[in-house]
Amino acid sequence: MLLQYWPKSTNVPFMSYRLPALLFSAILIAASFALIFTKGLNFGIDFAGGSVIEIEQPEGVQEEDVREVMSSLDLGEVGVNAARGTGVEGVEVIVIRFATQQAEEGMDQDTAQQQANDRVRAALNEAFSGVNVRSSAAVGPKVSGELLRSGLMALGVALLLMMAYISVRFQWKYALGAVAALFHDVIITMGMFALTQFEFNLSTIAALLTIVGYSMNDTVIVFDRVREEARKYKKMEADKVINLAVNQTMSRTLLTSGTTLLALLSIYLFGGTVLSGMSFALIFGIVIGTYSSVFVASAVLLLLGLEQGEKQRKEVEGFQGV
Amino acid sequence: MLNFPAWKVVLILIVLVWGALMALPNAFSDGFLGVAPREPQSDAPQDIAAYEQQLGAAEDSWWPSFLPTGKVNLGLDLQGGVYLLTQIDPEEVAANRLETLQTDIVQALNRDPLIERNVPEQQGTTLPIQLRNAEDMDDALRRLRRINPTVGATGGQKVLSIEQTAPERILVSVSEDAQQALAADAQSTMITIIRRRLDPDGVSEISITPQGDTRIVIEAPGEADPRRIKNILSQAGRLTFNMANTDQSSINAAQATRPPPGFELLEDQLGRLILVNRTPVVTGSDIATASQGRDPDDNSPAVDFRLNGTGAERFGQTTASNRGRIFAIVLDGTVMSAPRINEPIWGGNVQITGDFELEEAQDLADIIEAGELPAKLNFIEERTVGPGLGADSIRAGTNASLIGLALVGVFMIIAYGLIGGFAVGSLLFNIVLILGALSGLGATLTLPGIAGIVLTIGMAVDANVIVFERIREEQQNGRSPTTAVIAGYERALSSILDANITTFIAAAILYLLGSGPVKGFAVTLAIGIVTSVFTAFVVTRWFTAMWLRAARPRKLSI
Repeated sequence: MLLQYWPKSTNVPFMSYRLPALLFSAILIAASFALIFTKGLNFGIDFAGGSVIEIEQPEGVQEEDVREVMSSLDLGEVGVNAARGTGVEGVEVIVIRFATQQAEEGMDQDTAQQQANDRVRAALNEAFSGVNVRSSAAVGPKVSGELLRSGLMALGVALLLMMAYISVRFQWKYALGAVAALFHDVIITMGMFALTQFEFNLSTIAALLTIVGYSMNDTVIVFDRVREEARKYKKMEADKVINLAVNQTMSRTLLTSGTTLLALLSIYLFGGTVLSGMSFALIFGIVIGTYSSVFVASAVLLLLGLEQGEKQRKEVEGFQGV
Repeated sequence: MLNFPAWKVVLILIVLVWGALMALPNAFSDGFLGVAPREPQSDAPQDIAAYEQQLGAAEDSWWPSFLPTGKVNLGLDLQGGVYLLTQIDPEEVAANRLETLQTDIVQALNRDPLIERNVPEQQGTTLPIQLRNAEDMDDALRRLRRINPTVGATGGQKVLSIEQTAPERILVSVSEDAQQALAADAQSTMITIIRRRLDPDGVSEISITPQGDTRIVIEAPGEADPRRIKNILSQAGRLTFNMANTDQSSINAAQATRPPPGFELLEDQLGRLILVNRTPVVTGSDIATASQGRDPDDNSPAVDFRLNGTGAERFGQTTASNRGRIFAIVLDGTVMSAPRINEPIWGGNVQITGDFELEEAQDLADIIEAGELPAKLNFIEERTVGPGLGADSIRAGTNASLIGLALVGVFMIIAYGLIGGFAVGSLLFNIVLILGALSGLGATLTLPGIAGIVLTIGMAVDANVIVFERIREEQQNGRSPTTAVIAGYERALSSILDANITTFIAAAILYLLGSGPVKGFAVTLAIGIVTSVFTAFVVTRWFTAMWLRAARPRKLSI
């Protein structure tokens, strides 16, 4: 339908912009590193340990009232914030947060954390009888340390496996380009989290892994085409070959990103607060991942020197007989 | 590519119908189709009985038994409930084990005594022993080795390491290796005890699973407050009957210096001190049953229990020979009551009274009947979702899915017209298949899992888009609709597989290394990838083939 009005063959000289684009990406990466190391990531309790308790705001009770109840419990610094809860109608909620507790004699911090949560529940029940605790979580330092390690390990293993896969399916120059794009996407997305101070938690790691998968997916589609055209056109200049391939896959790239973004936007807007951080990461990552498969992956491939014609090793075509 | 022989069509239909059947129960309210029997949780008779009852109920249902009745399992974040992660301290298990073995050790060495009368002092997981004479060393070592038990039932590792450290000194200890083995052994014991405490009737849906060697995960759907579970499980449940002394002058003397050998000072529920003999008359293993009862005096809640044969015998004899003296019922180091023995108690029926709430008495009875935990359970992580938030999350997730689906569907039809409609049709099948697979595999759907489905909706059309783009190009190159479609599918295949395998790798890692709700995301993402390749590449192609044959279009408007 509408797509037939889309230009049959676009001819955007993407690769002419490769140097400014690479420079732009380099600046973004440097800025991301700077942000991650100066502002830091806002780790949620999954990774930092601590407690979060969300209660439905009782009738006539203000933030200050809750803060007062909390201050009597000696929990260190306690954050008390009113917010809108997950859900269609979005009830008013109050979110209470506090960090890892100091251990008393004969007790470790993990146990102290659990007891602090129990004490908060008891105090809330006493102060506002019948209070509805919507959720509560207490993560001890032992667990949060492990979750962070295993989260980072998951990310590392994913990147390694992607490299392995792409090295098998493509020549090493392609693999290098694809991997550069992956690191680009992951670092800049993390930089975005440092900038906005959105909570960085287990769901964020899940989002990052999905971004890695998606960005790889996007790059593979473009590279498949680049390889096909490079075989076909021996004499054409390398940047023209890549431009051709990118233009040919452009409408697919835009359409798929479009539908995926539509779906994610629907989660971001209607999926409630629990999912908003995750969908934010995904939306940002997919935009960045789409950009990087053209301006990082392909640009790096071009810098490394695209091999064309019969010189181009006949790669594993695999799957052809499936 | 467009050739669909009968067997292929049958295969496609089988998959689609199977998926639809598996997904079907989700469309009905609970219990409408009868309840799917859940596997018994253990070999305990009450679990087996509950299972058989469910089987019977399932047979009586009008819904044919060969059709599935299982719905998608909802994660705790969607149905509400308590998740608790507990840690067992191997050192504590070892110390407790050594403490129980201490009686045997002292007894073995006290026969034609090799040691002085005062009891060796245990220090954590070690027990230093001082012999009277260095010549007794060989005899002492032999006696100790004879009583050294193994970890677990038969064979395997010895619990104690017995070393000579000086001519007349022996160090009995529990080695690191033995500690690990004991902890692993304790883990399975504890799972059984936890189940008996939390779910004495075997009816609730509480799940208790080991994690690693020293951790236990407790998941209680529907529970809104973790404190009750924590309370029930934070008590070791070590119940003993000991002879005691409430004589104020002895207590004062013990407080001023230290208790006489073999005695210790314990507090009762009101904080009063009582001098208690360390060696118990009756221990938890002598108790046959415990239940919540009533104090005959004022009808307040109490805990009744009955001793087994040997326990009742021993208790009867002790009470007979200690008429007029005091005995203490001690639970986890606190004296629950300290009655005077007016007459011998032979029947083995005992009652603890106190200031109990009804629920407390019930919980205490469950704790005592379930038995003693080999070590304290340390809670290290708690996540609770109340029923309100769970319901809100389901609603939000459903809304996001439906809106996402509608947006993507409209977008595809606007972009590709009729053939885009085919893609939307197969997208619907895709969702049915995901639901069917989730129900069939017994996988758990979490809130991030719903996000995974919505993400799949967005990405599922990718395979279609890749194919359609190719078809468009081929048509431009002057091919007829049929050959364009064939070429489009052939050329797109390798791209589609490459692209999906990479995302699948990410999902697999997430599943292996992720935890809880995030694992749910990995599951739906992985299932979604498989089903979307199938629906986009096979089902849409089949639709297109049928349409091409029926309509014989001269040109594809794509």
